[in-house]
Amino acid sequence: MSHVDEGTLHAYLDGELPSAERAALEAHLAGCATCRGNLIEERSLRERASAVLGSARPAERPAPPLDQLRREPKRSPWRVRRSFAWAASLALALGVGYYMRSPSGRTAPIADLTEQPVAIAQHRAAETEEERDKSPAPAPARAHDQRRLDEVAAAETPKFDARSSVAAPAPRTADSIRIEAKVISGAVPAAGAPALVVDGIVAQQLAATNWPVISRRMAKSILGEEPVGLPGLAARHFRRVPGTEGTIVVEQAIDSSTVIQIFQRPAYPYDSTGSGYANEGRLRVRGYASEDQARERGNRLFARFVKGLRVEITGPLSPDSLNRLLDQVAPLP
Amino acid sequence: MPDDIAEVYRNTYPALVRFLYRKVWDAERAEDLAQEAFARALVHRPENTRGWLFVVAANMARDEARRAAREKRHLTLLKSEPDAVHSSPEDDIDAETRTKHVRAALDELTPRDREALLLWDAGMSYDEIAAQTGLARGAIGTTLARARRRLVEAYDAGLEGGQHVARG
Repeated sequence: MSHVDEGTLHAYLDGELPSAERAALEAHLAGCATCRGNLIEERSLRERASAVLGSARPAERPAPPLDQLRREPKRSPWRVRRSFAWAASLALALGVGYYMRSPSGRTAPIADLTEQPVAIAQHRAAETEEERDKSPAPAPARAHDQRRLDEVAAAETPKFDARSSVAAPAPRTADSIRIEAKVISGAVPAAGAPALVVDGIVAQQLAATNWPVISRRMAKSILGEEPVGLPGLAARHFRRVPGTEGTIVVEQAIDSSTVIQIFQRPAYPYDSTGSGYANEGRLRVRGYASEDQARERGNRLFARFVKGLRVEITGPLSPDSLNRLLDQVAPLP
Repeated sequence: MPDDIAEVYRNTYPALVRFLYRKVWDAERAEDLAQEAFARALVHRPENTRGWLFVVAANMARDEARRAAREKRHLTLLKSEPDAVHSSPEDDIDAETRTKHVRAALDELTPRDREALLLWDAGMSYDEIAAQTGLARGAIGTTLARARRRLVEAYDAGLEGGQHVARG
């Protein structure tokens, strides 16, 4: 056996040499002073490199609980389905609420729900094409987001109006982030799992108290921007809403028995082609259209866009009060 | 969630943060990216979670680096840059400076050597490194030997350079 090369010595030192080779190497080392010397040299190099690298390390902080990480990856087509499902289930809940509440027009809302998204989807598809042409460069999503937020901030209301004539009121603001806020009826989160009352009807059993509390930083990280809430009120908790990727809740107490929950989520743009990949950051929301329509028709659930977020409120207050509260929602300081 | 991801999370999270840190050089950002990688893993449920995580993390870091490079170009236009390698007092150099030297030394490596070294440091086996980098398993030892030598040489040279400047 000729002298051992340094690669083999490093593999040996790393414990990665297959056993047969290792045995042969050790036999050689026993009779070869040169290679023993090399081994000592390589060992010291290896340790030195490890120390150098180790001197540049981040302060180790404990990992957040894994189940608090659940949020939407930026590129998953699966996410689209999930979000769509989320929207659809909410729309369904609203539709049911409306259906049960309204003595007339029992079937109309649901029928409309099935029709409108198609129109939206086509509209969106056209838009996506247009957008794609405008910016072929694959800039990082973050940059897109920022740009879109700016657009959104600049063009909030007029866009909404302009669009309502074309299709459903899926405002341009939906491009970046949405929020929903609900006031939980019964309102005291500590008191078990209050029912979410939508339009006077128990639409969904919310186990809000069991939802994981997250840090504000995490909330911001999930949303991609500052969470919003009612100004002047401390945020009691930030929670992650289970089963709805990317949705968080800001809880604020108006008084000792009235807790408002502000649901907020990024409206990850959808790809109307369904791929979810090629046009990341450039895509349009759809699917929410039906949700919006349902909400408008139901006319009791209030949703509002704040910057890119959307707020929705229900709860132990009158619709008017809720609506007024909703109008005040702003990014938390 | 299946135990294996939770297990991988416990065992691999710090290594992934470290791996990312040496690519983005921002501890908080590294944590964010690591968490996002795991969040994606929860969704995708890859076969080989650990390997998948490092591939995803490497991609995210690369995108991040491109963005950072663009921002840096803007920044350097705005402020007159101090000496690139901070000249340290001769005695003990502080952590920030040391990090800067390590970073500069890592930059001296070829991308492939650097990747292999960082993956090894993150606790990957030769097999895993081979799978991730496309190198033959038999070449990993040689690659690591070269990477280590280059790192140490470049680091020492950087320190000496700093000393020379400091001494005037």
